[in-house]
Amino acid sequence: MELTRRELLKSAAALTAAGTLSQALPGSSQAQTTQKKDLVVAQGGDISKLDPHFSTSSNDIRWSFNIFDNLTSRHPDGKLYPGLALESKLQSQTVWTFKLRQGVKFHNGDPFTSADAKFSIERTYDPNAKTMVATVFTTIDKIEAPDPYSLIIHTKKPDPLLPARLAFYGGQIVPKKYLESVGNDAFNARPVGTGPTRFVSWVKDDRLTLEANPDYWGGKPDFDKLIVRSIPETAPRVAALLKGEVDVITQLPPDQEDRVTANASTRVEGALYAGLYVLAVNSKRPPLDNPLVKQALSLAIDRELIVKELWKGRGVVPSGPIAKGDNFFDPKLPPLAYNPKEARERLKKAGYKGEEVFIETTVAYVSQDKAMSEAIAAMWKDVGVNVKVEVIEYSVRAQKNREKSFKGVFWSDPTSTLGDPDGMMWRLLGPGGPQDYWRESKFDELGAAARFSVDEKFRAEAYAQMTKVFLENFPWLPIIQPYEDYGLQKYVEFTPNPNQQFEIRRFNFKFRRA
Amino acid sequence: MRGLLPFLAQRLFRALIALWLVSTVVFVVMRLSGDPVPLLLPPDAPISEMERVRRELGLDRPLPVQYAVFLRNTLKLDFGRSLHFRQPAFSVVSGYIPATLELGLTAFFLAALVAVPVGLLSAMKRNTLLDHAAMGFALMGQAAPTFFLGILFILLLSLKLDLFPTSGRGSWSNLVLPALTLGAFTMASIARLTRSAVLEVLRADYIRTARAKGLGEALVVAKHTFRNAAIPILTITALQFGTLLGGAVVTETVFSWPGIGRLAVQSIYNRDYPVVQCTVFLAAVMFIVINFIVDLLYGFLDPRARVG
Repeated sequence: MELTRRELLKSAAALTAAGTLSQALPGSSQAQTTQKKDLVVAQGGDISKLDPHFSTSSNDIRWSFNIFDNLTSRHPDGKLYPGLALESKLQSQTVWTFKLRQGVKFHNGDPFTSADAKFSIERTYDPNAKTMVATVFTTIDKIEAPDPYSLIIHTKKPDPLLPARLAFYGGQIVPKKYLESVGNDAFNARPVGTGPTRFVSWVKDDRLTLEANPDYWGGKPDFDKLIVRSIPETAPRVAALLKGEVDVITQLPPDQEDRVTANASTRVEGALYAGLYVLAVNSKRPPLDNPLVKQALSLAIDRELIVKELWKGRGVVPSGPIAKGDNFFDPKLPPLAYNPKEARERLKKAGYKGEEVFIETTVAYVSQDKAMSEAIAAMWKDVGVNVKVEVIEYSVRAQKNREKSFKGVFWSDPTSTLGDPDGMMWRLLGPGGPQDYWRESKFDELGAAARFSVDEKFRAEAYAQMTKVFLENFPWLPIIQPYEDYGLQKYVEFTPNPNQQFEIRRFNFKFRRA
Repeated sequence: MRGLLPFLAQRLFRALIALWLVSTVVFVVMRLSGDPVPLLLPPDAPISEMERVRRELGLDRPLPVQYAVFLRNTLKLDFGRSLHFRQPAFSVVSGYIPATLELGLTAFFLAALVAVPVGLLSAMKRNTLLDHAAMGFALMGQAAPTFFLGILFILLLSLKLDLFPTSGRGSWSNLVLPALTLGAFTMASIARLTRSAVLEVLRADYIRTARAKGLGEALVVAKHTFRNAAIPILTITALQFGTLLGGAVVTETVFSWPGIGRLAVQSIYNRDYPVVQCTVFLAAVMFIVINFIVDLLYGFLDPRARVG
């Protein structure tokens, strides 16, 4: 059922006149400013854990990034800024020194010192702590805390991306003293950090209530309370926004955007996803072991059409394996081409004889996956590929991923966790990585060298060369770099973060006041 | 009430068998259907890391061993620790039960209070406009999928007419739409069944006798008809409570109501074995208890059942 804008306005006006608005917000439905003190956000999934070292789910880290601070901080512009560390310096090839912020207090009043930073990072890979982020800091050899406001990190090999690693999940700083005294379970139930919001209460699957930290070193955020609700279904989540029950909703699918834009008091705001949606290829399964076949599959996909029709224009066509906005993204590289004639020729050259190509698609593992699979299957059929679409369930996908038992191509949404190709293509496609289905010695040598080099010029050249190898072999078929969209009340000023952090610090969130 | 003890013992025995079967089916199906570990870790976690977590959670042990442990612990009402929440499963699930009971009981009483009088009235005024209208609505209520009905209510009664909040749990106004959605099917079933049960009784000889001896229609209905029609109505009404528990899965998801139905869906997606097992177990217990109460009620309504 679709409500038109006129109908909505009519009913809103009629009801306002009748004085029956049961949940009325201050001001009318047209309000572009507000006197609100509480920010209400609805997300599409439930919160499972608030201890930042026990979850990497976006539904959890959105909030843990606001209860806790990292040593470094990635802002919505994609750049790294100081967090709890004021300064980071590469002392020698394998030694980083950090100067920490002084006078910062945890929400329980304990002062933040280098002991907390050392404890937090060591906790992630401490076998006894059994965290879910044990693989984030594998490059670290040892950590020293020579005085309360200095931290020295020794890496096993040169690690150019250490400051970037510290900014993302696993890098949240927890209070050593408090955590050790209350234990993991109590800490997860009542987390204490240094971040802009303090924990108040949490009713599972219903709401999480946080309050502004008035003493936050980055300034008190522009609200008194932050209430997070979980509304898993899209239609009720959009309805809650249109009705003014919530100020911000996450995970707004492209087909719902017209409703949000058409409504007088709401708008859409998006960030280009820090990553790509790709069909990852099991290049060990014939005919996908033949690079010519994969080139043909790529050439047969009309990505412009997918962006326009399925995504209502909310995305860009990728040019290779590096996401737009990342280090070493080459803006001069053309978007991946659509050329069905050339696709047919390469299939002929490859000696393709109608072997089955499987698309194992999930439903809503990545947004629009099933619809895109069907569109792509039709495009592949057009050039003569014998394509089969099979639908698999989310946890089956997880299991096949673990066993590397996919039959053909499958959806993946590689996130660029570090804003750098190392944290994306090399992390996933590198030897032993979760999507290691294809090897090419030149790609491997360059990837390994770039990982451990602190020479930016060398790294730029290496990733340019790797992109070339990639585009001949297509271990992924990149399809789209989509926008991640949010629905907002017009009185909310907020810039989404490309990597799904929900940044509501002073620099990024404001209520528009009259 | 002769033979109450053997009756109770037999009931209890059957209940235990049912619980054992339900737990076993859930145990097997959950393990056949997927692995929770990759869902807990970052997508790029290496195999060694996954193996470590599997060991830690006891998922590397052979299935028969896991099953034996599971049975032994279930006897002690220990369902293990939730993989997802990292808390004892029982305490996770029991936290969600009040919300489901609130919604389920409201829907149930709403349904029964509306449906029984409507069904009765429909039967008394058979083939009138009122009867057709009521049964038409009932048919729609039974035919419309819960999901569709829920979204329709949100768009119409909440967004368009602004009568109720769209979702969530809070004041009584939050309860109305989910209770209506959840109760719709039950309401329709009870109304239709009440109508046919009453019609059945109305055809009986003793009703003709009652009328023939000059009893007023009100007395015929109250004393002779309804009491006799009550047994099938009660049976179906009680069984509908099970349907309500099932319907809660969808309704709670649509209205983001924090109950065990939604927890079950979420836990199935997460392959959170302990929570799913605990949820299903407790739902089965609730269902069995309600059926048991109904059996006892028969005795009060129908003297023949006391000895039967």
